[in-house]
Amino acid sequence: MREPGVVIAGCGAISAVGCGLEPLLAALKNNSSGLRAMEKFSAPRFQSNIVGAVPENGWGERPREPGWAGQSVATTAREDARPTRTDNSAWWLATEALTQARAAAEEILQKISAARTGLVLSTTKANITALELISENRSCSETARRHLQANLLAEDLAQAFGAHGPVQTVSVACVSGLIAISQAAKIIQRGEADAVFVVGVDALSEFVVAGFTALKALDPLGCRPFDAARCGLSPGEAGAAIVLVRDDFAPAAKIKIRAFGGSNDANHLTGPSRDGSGLAQAIRVALAAAKFSPTEIDFVHAHGTGTPYNDAMESLALQTIFGDAGPPVSGAKGMLGHTLGAAGVIETICCVLAMQNNFLPGTPRLDSPADGTPKNLLREPRLDVRVKNILKLNTGFGGMNGALILSHG
Amino acid sequence: MDKISITAASVVAEADLKSARLGQRFGRLDLSSQLALLAVAELKINFAEFANGRVGIVFAASAGSLATDVNFWNGRHGVGGPSPTLFAYTLPSAAVGEIAIHFKLTGPDLCFVGDGKNLLREAADLIRRGETDACVCIFCEAVTADCGKIISTAPVAAAHAVLVRRGEGIVELREFDRDFKALCALISQSKSAV
Repeated sequence: MREPGVVIAGCGAISAVGCGLEPLLAALKNNSSGLRAMEKFSAPRFQSNIVGAVPENGWGERPREPGWAGQSVATTAREDARPTRTDNSAWWLATEALTQARAAAEEILQKISAARTGLVLSTTKANITALELISENRSCSETARRHLQANLLAEDLAQAFGAHGPVQTVSVACVSGLIAISQAAKIIQRGEADAVFVVGVDALSEFVVAGFTALKALDPLGCRPFDAARCGLSPGEAGAAIVLVRDDFAPAAKIKIRAFGGSNDANHLTGPSRDGSGLAQAIRVALAAAKFSPTEIDFVHAHGTGTPYNDAMESLALQTIFGDAGPPVSGAKGMLGHTLGAAGVIETICCVLAMQNNFLPGTPRLDSPADGTPKNLLREPRLDVRVKNILKLNTGFGGMNGALILSHG
Repeated sequence: MDKISITAASVVAEADLKSARLGQRFGRLDLSSQLALLAVAELKINFAEFANGRVGIVFAASAGSLATDVNFWNGRHGVGGPSPTLFAYTLPSAAVGEIAIHFKLTGPDLCFVGDGKNLLREAADLIRRGETDACVCIFCEAVTADCGKIISTAPVAAAHAVLVRRGEGIVELREFDRDFKALCALISQSKSAV
């Protein structure tokens, strides 16, 4: 029996370039960067204070999730348990993005019951801020503490947004977002739900910046993906949400989740395989699942962290699959920073915006491409280009690789 | 449609870690990775019989990486700051990476935070879709005393694992809403009895 198709019915995002899809689209078209210096991440405690933080005026007044007081989310019903930006920015980011995405898909979602609506959360650290507060005996709401556990964050999001179907919490390092999208599509294809909210979230925290500082993985000048002078990543934060639905509920929706491929390098916990073979394997699996040849890919949206090893590995993988005449390639981390569990979701939204608006994004903060990087690496956006098939890549600690193919009908 | 079955199961607890012989790196892994790696080793599977890239790992951690998160963050005031080694284990999926490295498993990975209710369904789905020929499923509980205080949970250190593959086995997978831990324990006990 043919599995149903899965299409994108709505998106939402909050990130270093602002709140909503409009600032994200503008940044993509202008090739601008949201990276900036933040005093709290300065030396000597941290290796770099250049981060992809949501701008001060970009947060909105408070979480806008529906039914805040009316829903029976036990731990959030009390006023004193309500999360704040200070103690639970993960919840804030997630609810902002999901509110936007749900509004964009409202007409379609009216045809689908809550019982047939699921949610897949992608995160690496959930509300890790609560651990920082608790360890210093600072004020921390009951909900913020609860959302240290990613699965409880997912449950509360599902309840607050009326997703009473299957709920999953995916945490596969920086590939989490792509795997969450793949899982959501599978839930629909298996007939377990008609709509699934995919939410990617990770907030900036001292915990994460201290960790990457310990690994000496940050670029003091801010990340420069694929650049000859690149020397590390820049942490970022984001909330990103995509509403996926079964295609017969949304005949006008044009962007389809075509295929996913995953693999593991089985090589090193924090470093990628040097030859790119693991990522190449994931791409091959995705191409085979889509029944595509490499020439059918019009554009590759790369992981592109800005670390020397990642970008070199990714370039080798692309060379292996596409050879010298590969499709255009670019990456968004010079604009958004590395948003970890949100990365796959918000970068997929970048691809959706490119497809919908007929352009290819550039690679912000790339100045001089390093030797061995893809020949068709885009420094600047390319406008007036119709894109049919995009390959979106992410890789992560633990050797994980993911390759997602989106198709524009 | 071909049958999909569980062909091996194991249960390990913290006490079992002392006698584990899994290489020099084993002692440097975090608790979750040690438990998960040992549980997979106890399945006693010859993974070389599978083609490269055809074994997946489907993992769930009851409390994510919170126990290691607490250890890492408690070390922030130490000499040299927080440990870079521990930071790598502050991802719930670190154990998946360690299993992949140790057993050279290059297939697809899934990692969930929370209970193990999705494990068998997702493993069977990967096999049915032809993405893998087999999957190792692991449910890991690693809650230390410090971690347990924060999330009001009793300390626990255990891992349950099964191998799921196409064909005949100990238990055929037809429905998936089964208690993963109870199923592992049942199969492990029946094997011991034999």
